Amino acid sequence: MIDWRLELRAVKGRAYPRIIGAWREPSWVLFDIFLPLLGIAAFIFYYRSMGAPEVFTGFVVLGGAMTAFWLNVLWSMATQFYWEKETGNLQLYLLAPMSRMSVLAGMALGGMFFTTVRAASTFVLGFFIFGVALQVSNILGLVAVFLITLIALYGMGMMFASLYMLYGRGAYNVSSLAQEPIYLVSGFYFPVKELGFWVAAGASIVPITLGLDAMRQLLFSESSVNPFLPWTIELLINCFLAVFFILLARRSLHYMEYLGKREGRLTLRWQ
Amino acid sequence: MAVRDHLRTIKYAAWLGWQMDSNWTNPYLFIAYSLVKPIAATLILVFMYLVIFSSALANPAVFSYMYIGNAFYMYVAQVLFGLVMVIYEDREHYQTLKQVYIAPISFYMYIIGRAIPKIILTTIGILITLAFGVVFLSLPIDLLTISWMLLAAAMLLGLLCICMIGIALAGIALLTAKHGSGINEGIAGAFYLFCGVVFPITFLPAWAQSIGLAIPITYWLEIVRRAVLSGSGVPNISGLEAYSNSEIFLLLLFSSLLFFVISIAIFRYADYLARKKGKLDMTTTY
Amino acid sequence: MVLAIEAQALTRVFGGKKSKEPLVALDRADLQIEEGELFGLLGPNGAGKTTLIKILATLLLPTSGSVRVLGHDVVTEAQAIRPRINMVSGGETSGYGLLTVKENLWMFSQFYGIPSVEARQRIDDLLTVFELSDKANAKVRTISTGQRQKMNVARGFVTDPDLIFLDEPTLGLDVNASFAIRNYIRQWVKHKGKTVLLTTHYMQEADDLCDRVAVIDHGRILACAEPAKLKRGLQRDVTFTIVTTPFPEAAGVGALPGVKGFVNEFVNDGTELRLVLEEESVIADVVSYITSRQAKVLSLTKTMPTLEDVFIELVGRGLQ
Repeated sequence: MIDWRLELRAVKGRAYPRIIGAWREPSWVLFDIFLPLLGIAAFIFYYRSMGAPEVFTGFVVLGGAMTAFWLNVLWSMATQFYWEKETGNLQLYLLAPMSRMSVLAGMALGGMFFTTVRAASTFVLGFFIFGVALQVSNILGLVAVFLITLIALYGMGMMFASLYMLYGRGAYNVSSLAQEPIYLVSGFYFPVKELGFWVAAGASIVPITLGLDAMRQLLFSESSVNPFLPWTIELLINCFLAVFFILLARRSLHYMEYLGKREGRLTLRWQ
Repeated sequence: MAVRDHLRTIKYAAWLGWQMDSNWTNPYLFIAYSLVKPIAATLILVFMYLVIFSSALANPAVFSYMYIGNAFYMYVAQVLFGLVMVIYEDREHYQTLKQVYIAPISFYMYIIGRAIPKIILTTIGILITLAFGVVFLSLPIDLLTISWMLLAAAMLLGLLCICMIGIALAGIALLTAKHGSGINEGIAGAFYLFCGVVFPITFLPAWAQSIGLAIPITYWLEIVRRAVLSGSGVPNISGLEAYSNSEIFLLLLFSSLLFFVISIAIFRYADYLARKKGKLDMTTTY
Repeated sequence: MVLAIEAQALTRVFGGKKSKEPLVALDRADLQIEEGELFGLLGPNGAGKTTLIKILATLLLPTSGSVRVLGHDVVTEAQAIRPRINMVSGGETSGYGLLTVKENLWMFSQFYGIPSVEARQRIDDLLTVFELSDKANAKVRTISTGQRQKMNVARGFVTDPDLIFLDEPTLGLDVNASFAIRNYIRQWVKHKGKTVLLTTHYMQEADDLCDRVAVIDHGRILACAEPAKLKRGLQRDVTFTIVTTPFPEAAGVGALPGVKGFVNEFVNDGTELRLVLEEESVIADVVSYITSRQAKVLSLTKTMPTLEDVFIELVGRGLQ
């Protein structure tokens, strides 16, 4: 029987440090809003130096905006339990009666504030500075794709968090390892179909792959996007992934906690 | 402080950095990590190229320009990122920063020492990336025609310059929250944009080109390309073709000296502020 | 008799894989703590105190044996235990530096589902008791180590647990703060009928506070009784305190026949030896040994056994 009041309070409690931290340490405003535009601009000029069609500018801006969420999942969600263990908070979280997923949900919601600000500002600034031409074909569909992609992505992050809780620095470096390959195979900066059907299909396990592909179809003219699958199918697949990852995260957290308690690694620092 | 003391500091800081950078997993995963990460980063750009040109040989000048630039740019990204993380990790994770700070060693030498294992690991990554390019993507590198002296001189000066910029960023890291690791992304992104890493700076607006021409990384990458591709056909698209090797090298030297002075000034001021505001042992992970 | 904690043949072994020598942290430990009891656990570093607490707090699984906390099995019913327990460790660095003391306490209260209004009231009361009210709105990274430890202790009590584990809670605290916390613990147990499991290196603290004390070493419970009873058990032995001039060879005293246990420390340009002897006549041999090594006896006192003496006899050495 889930005590919803307890879980909601736990979510609120854990989101609070993230939100208040963003207010009290405002350096992220410069570093996470303006400076990432530079990397995006580099990719845009790279495409322009090759004479690429202008729609590719839009692909880069979209991919750059969504990078914020991928990085948030990878670093602020997946690795967070590892950091909590190092600072001594993890054992207090595990001691408390709340669900582990409530802690992670709180982290996600709290972090989503500045992640969304970063993503939105990247998109808006990129749109204005580089003159991205949009052809929004279905605004409701776009919102649905965006939200479902995020839910599925954060569900995946929760699943990773369970691994990192136990496996320490090795898992932290796996996060680092996963960063660029996912940019590549998920088609952050070009249509994923260019990688071939099977690579795209395999990469679809990462929700952002199909999410980006669907958003490209809904934001830009269909003829230039080279979609992998129709966006409605991609949305359905991501819905399935959202449920799958959340359920998997729940089981994985439970199992990893059990393993950690059995091996005595839940409170072991500097692994 | 004696040169011997500095060298000892560098040696033990390098040893510490190696322990931390290399002992986190079993050797097979470490090898996979060393292979996959640099190649994946490069393949993003390769596929962006192939989406437009369909073949690596369709426009070899653009391809080799991008490939060499991106490969060697890993030094910039990894060293800058790595040195900022040294501060964050020592301060917040291992909580040893204050002990290191008050020790009778040069903190500059400590940071340079911590950079050395990152340079070594990045070098391995770069060599793997270049080998991959030669074997699978027809990258026109010929070991017999590489200008080794020019490359060695450029690498020495370039890496020193990168380390100094890293020291400046490390100073800024003393003042910022751990989540301000956007500093890496931002500064590395700025260099990526303005320094002709993957596209010639001639494609930038005039004002942006002026910025690029003031940054030593621009000249460093140009001279590295010339050294590595010497004999194979240096792509004449960088916008710096009019300068000879010596002129480029001098431009690199002067701009590096300028950045050296600026970096030291930034670090010293950040260091002063960190001590004044009591930030040397702050924890900001939330 | 209602038991808050019941452990039978509790064993915990670490390692043993990849040709590493296994470490037996707990070795068939038996423990029974009643509800409403203030129970002390004494032991040197590495004795197994923290391992025991982690098992009781459902953070670690036992290798074998059975453990029930508040009537629930720690392995299969952990979720039933957690709402009713809390834990405070000495030298904790938990919480977030950029939150205020109040905000940190409120955040942890939310993890136990305490309504904010009630939580804030409890926090205000606890901050007053622990003399932290003036630091309520200070960011945690700006407060001193002692103040942080007071905040940690407050965090343990803000959830009003039925059972609290205090692992060296007064570590780093000054005399006044330690007194305030001990007083609070005593009143909390007395008036609310709650249970405390306390570990400490301060013998006087255990002697003053605890209804019963267990001594643990190398994972085994060596003795478990009221402090007075443990001390009475020593009265067949003799305890002496000798102060000498600086005496580097003091360690050799332990090897003398009839010396059951001793601890020495350097004090005020001299050496203080506290000895537990089988019989009074042994003191002559000890004095001869001291003088034969060119040291002088400055004072010699026969003492009533303290809890530390009990500890020395059981463990064979002082707290390290």
